[in-house]
Amino acid sequence: MEKLTMKGLRHYLGFPMGLLLTFTMALPIIALLVNSLSFGWRWPDLFPQALTNRAWSYVLSTTSGTYASVGLSLEIALVVTIINLVLGMPGAYALARYNFRGKLLVEGIVYAPIIVPAFASTMGIQMTFLRLGLTESVLGVILAHLAPTLPYMVRALIISFQTLNPSLEDQARTLGAGWWQCFWQISLPHLVPGIVAGASLSILISLSQYLITFLIGGGQVVTLPLLMFPFINGGDLAIGSAYAVLFSGMAGLALYAMSWVLKHYYGKRLDFHI
Amino acid sequence: MRKVTTPVITIIVIAICLFLAGCSQAQNKSDPAATATSTDLLKANWDEVASQAKGQTVNMYMWGGSESINRYMDEWVAPRLKEDYEVTLQRVPVNDINDTINKLLAEKQVNKKEGSVDLIWINGENFKNAKEQDLLWGSFDKQLPNFNQYIDANAPDIKDDFGLPTEGLEAPWGKAQFVFIYDSNKIKTPPTSMAQLADWVKQNPGKFTYPAPPDFTGSAFIRQALYETTGGYQQYMKPLDSDSLTPKLSPLWNYLNSMETSLWREGKTYPESLAKLDQLYANGEVWMTMGYDPARASNEIKKGTFPASTRTFVLEAGTLANTHYLSIPFNSTHQAGAMVAINFMLSPEAQIAKFDPLNWGEDMSLDLQKLSPEDQKLVSEIDRGIATLPAGELASHRLPELPSAYVDVLDNGWLEYVAK
Repeated sequence: MEKLTMKGLRHYLGFPMGLLLTFTMALPIIALLVNSLSFGWRWPDLFPQALTNRAWSYVLSTTSGTYASVGLSLEIALVVTIINLVLGMPGAYALARYNFRGKLLVEGIVYAPIIVPAFASTMGIQMTFLRLGLTESVLGVILAHLAPTLPYMVRALIISFQTLNPSLEDQARTLGAGWWQCFWQISLPHLVPGIVAGASLSILISLSQYLITFLIGGGQVVTLPLLMFPFINGGDLAIGSAYAVLFSGMAGLALYAMSWVLKHYYGKRLDFHI
Repeated sequence: MRKVTTPVITIIVIAICLFLAGCSQAQNKSDPAATATSTDLLKANWDEVASQAKGQTVNMYMWGGSESINRYMDEWVAPRLKEDYEVTLQRVPVNDINDTINKLLAEKQVNKKEGSVDLIWINGENFKNAKEQDLLWGSFDKQLPNFNQYIDANAPDIKDDFGLPTEGLEAPWGKAQFVFIYDSNKIKTPPTSMAQLADWVKQNPGKFTYPAPPDFTGSAFIRQALYETTGGYQQYMKPLDSDSLTPKLSPLWNYLNSMETSLWREGKTYPESLAKLDQLYANGEVWMTMGYDPARASNEIKKGTFPASTRTFVLEAGTLANTHYLSIPFNSTHQAGAMVAINFMLSPEAQIAKFDPLNWGEDMSLDLQKLSPEDQKLVSEIDRGIATLPAGELASHRLPELPSAYVDVLDNGWLEYVAK
């Protein structure tokens, strides 16, 4: 009975709701796009006086450094996310399955970066990395990006682990599966939604870091936000908008590519409901 | 295996800490050779500097929020520097150069001898901080051939940066002057003094405001008002004495408070930045904006942000002017390359290109009289845009900046007496 109502609702409201959602999400991007192309768009004019490609021709010019920064941003986000997965998987497993002394403390430390202001922790990281010679390197920036991203990955994975009934794994083991086979064929497919959620957040948060990248990268690691911020703050909103559109496109594509790869790989095994 | 105990965690944490501490000790051993050559460089003749610079890559940290400035650096300066001097210029965009000063300060604290900042664009407060914290390399300006040939090193606006002697730690790159920007369609005769401005504001309520200090431009507006309400700038050209200053400031606060209710939104709120004020102006909400760049109005007309009827004016008694500089940090690893780059940026060729609004449109730091007749002719033929005042009119209305210690006192005073 309940299923029927849900289906009915979906049928009647699905299209308008979808349209509304797309509209509210697309509207800011459309405004940015128009802003990046407009010449003399002043209140109370509804439309710009003319269109110009000034902002885009600067952003897409070879000297502006945009291309290299997009590549570098994506590279950093990808490596950060892979490290997060490798670190987060056992961490989340332990936190979801075991009770041990000091568990609350460990959880506190893992989630601390969400609560502690990034500026405070970054200042400390900066001084330590300076001593270690890790500033001004991509490696240093990648390590620094782990702090704000790891908590989200761990959180997403913990929830996935909590919904995975250990008896499923025990069954596989009694049927003769090895530890690795059990993980690969039983646990991992179940974790895919959590991995997608955690990795999406990890990618997005890594891509949007300005302060951490600036302080740890010392200006030598130029990601897209580093190019974008001076324009937004300095008042050239057309170029700022063009960069913002580019940034959204980059982030959207990265998310799409990631979920495509994961789903494509595990798609056949995704046979469960949450 | 189901129980991980706290002692195990503690041991791991301690081990990591020890490892990190060990690494940091290793890093502190830096080689003394690098510093020895850098002091020699300050005495070397120009040919030695130029030959040492060949093949170096210079990292220039500078504000990165202007298309025209970025393009001038990347498309005009960098290729020529590469071609003629074999020095590669790499521009590093910065949101606020103060962040770079803090970076240098952190590097100084951990004794990092090989920094990545080779060249930095600063003035005023940032220069003061850098100089006081010993973050700049040394006195290099007299070694630059173009500095010696084309710059009037004794001019007050070159010698002192916001009242602080440069002592050769930085070389002047360009000049800026405070101008008011207005819409000539809405204002037929712009005011010529701060007193007239106040009258105009009262007759046209809601059509004027200024960015809230400590915004750079808002802060400059306050100093502009200070000069005219308290009897000129001369009295402030000495180190700050807060006790004797405070009573002198009351005419300034009275002036600002008297116009407050006639400001945009009745002065209940102020735009937080120049960018916000510009937006209000572009949208026609206010009829004036302002700024520390005489050519900006023309540039904004060209970009379509300001209406074509935009013009600029200076006050009869003059407006604030300052010079901005190029400097080399203490731990630059390419000092020779940085010197060659600075010398090139001070050449008449580079300065005239910078003066041209097609590139940037900013005032030269060179002394016009010292240029060759051909170059002087080139300069006079450049059309600086419809809204930019002639170079002569700007030059004859220049007032020096206050020592930067005053700036903080005024900004705080504004919060205390006007904003409250």
